Amino acid sequence: MDVLRTLFTLMIFPGGLFILFNGMVYEWADRKLVARLQNRVGPRWFQPLADMLKLLAKEEVVPASVDARLFIGLPVIALAGVLTAALYLPIAGLPPAYSFPGDLIVTVYMLSLLTLCTGIAGANTNNRFSLVGATRTLTQLFSYEAPFMLAMLGPAVAAGSWQIDEVMGYAAEHPVILMQPVGFVIALIGLMGKLEMRPFDAPEAETEIVAGAMTEYSGRGLALFYLGRYVELIAGLTLVAAFYLGGIQNPLDYFVKTLALLLVLVGLQTLMTRLRIDQTVGLWWRYGTLLVLLQWFVTLLLRS
Amino acid sequence: MELGKVWNDVFDRVKTWARVNSPWVLHFNSGSCNGCDIEILATLTPRYDVERFGVKLEGSPRHADVLICTGPVTLQARDRLLRVYEQMPEPKFVIAVGSCAISGGAFQGCYNVVGHVDEVIPVDIYVPGCPPRPEAIIDGVAKLLGKLQTPAAARPVEETVI
Repeated sequence: MDVLRTLFTLMIFPGGLFILFNGMVYEWADRKLVARLQNRVGPRWFQPLADMLKLLAKEEVVPASVDARLFIGLPVIALAGVLTAALYLPIAGLPPAYSFPGDLIVTVYMLSLLTLCTGIAGANTNNRFSLVGATRTLTQLFSYEAPFMLAMLGPAVAAGSWQIDEVMGYAAEHPVILMQPVGFVIALIGLMGKLEMRPFDAPEAETEIVAGAMTEYSGRGLALFYLGRYVELIAGLTLVAAFYLGGIQNPLDYFVKTLALLLVLVGLQTLMTRLRIDQTVGLWWRYGTLLVLLQWFVTLLLRS
Repeated sequence: MELGKVWNDVFDRVKTWARVNSPWVLHFNSGSCNGCDIEILATLTPRYDVERFGVKLEGSPRHADVLICTGPVTLQARDRLLRVYEQMPEPKFVIAVGSCAISGGAFQGCYNVVGHVDEVIPVDIYVPGCPPRPEAIIDGVAKLLGKLQTPAAARPVEETVI
């Protein structure tokens, strides 16, 4: 019975199928809303599903110059990482499937595994566009990761716990968004950097470097990377909503809060144009990190 | 045995459905005067919004399903066109857009021109016009998708010789 329950948690809810479909639906919502803001009709509701099925049914070309084991293994590791992160989050408003003191750190690092794998995947090939894309991906990772992490730790420090469940309990009783507004903004924008959304899409800038680190990927590998991105969208939205928007208690709470956050992301995506990679780094290290550190300092002072 | 056949049938249907609903295109200019290319870009603008049909412009041949070719194939572009075609993963389809891509057009017989696209790579759909309207290009893509849905479209994998 215990084995069955574990399998159900890993494969169907909340680990496997549910979060994949949830991710595809949110991806569709993202594309549709951007299209509507641009006066377009936008894709049909099953578009991400059709894309993924088509990619999975396509031939996977393994270029001659790559390390084949890495080339095939990296997308799997990336998807596995984000799916693992989702196990520690209150997906769909239910309590996290697994929880232990310090799972916040594990989750945040599991979430950056996708970016890391993308970077290694780009560096693995001999393609010049992939290499430029990989360099940019990793540069961007090092610029937003620290502020994003600090912004996530802000509520944790205020709550005095490193466990997502307990921080959520604290967030439900305190207006964290008012206590740490800077942290909220940094977390939201850090999420956009993580997902390589529009102002921060220099790593995959399709008008300059073809498709960035993904250039040589086709078929299955590409599909797994995209699925990883969709799951990361869900996980990131859940994490930010749970920490800053007063926790997630029930399914309705979950959908309302994550979709509201998605709407903000869509608006920002539509408004902004792509930043150069040096502008991205400058933005994060000159302003983002310093502001969030300042807020951390204030939080610590107020707590003691 | 029966169950295996049914399973295969369902699997094929799902694959065809996904393929028809998500054609990612790659645009390649093999020596066109840019007229057709401007029309293709106009097709991708919000006014025509081809994302409605799941069409997405991809930069990398590795991601694309449909290669949209414009212009006659020049001697220099021939090897590049072949290479881009070879880089695309199976199943792949080609649409030749414009008079030049179909027959060589105004450039027919030029000293630097190999000929039309069909002489270099297999073409599935031809869209005539000089240049064709965006509506015609969308119609070409729709015809290709319609062709995919018929069983005969299961085109055998062809080996192109460089």
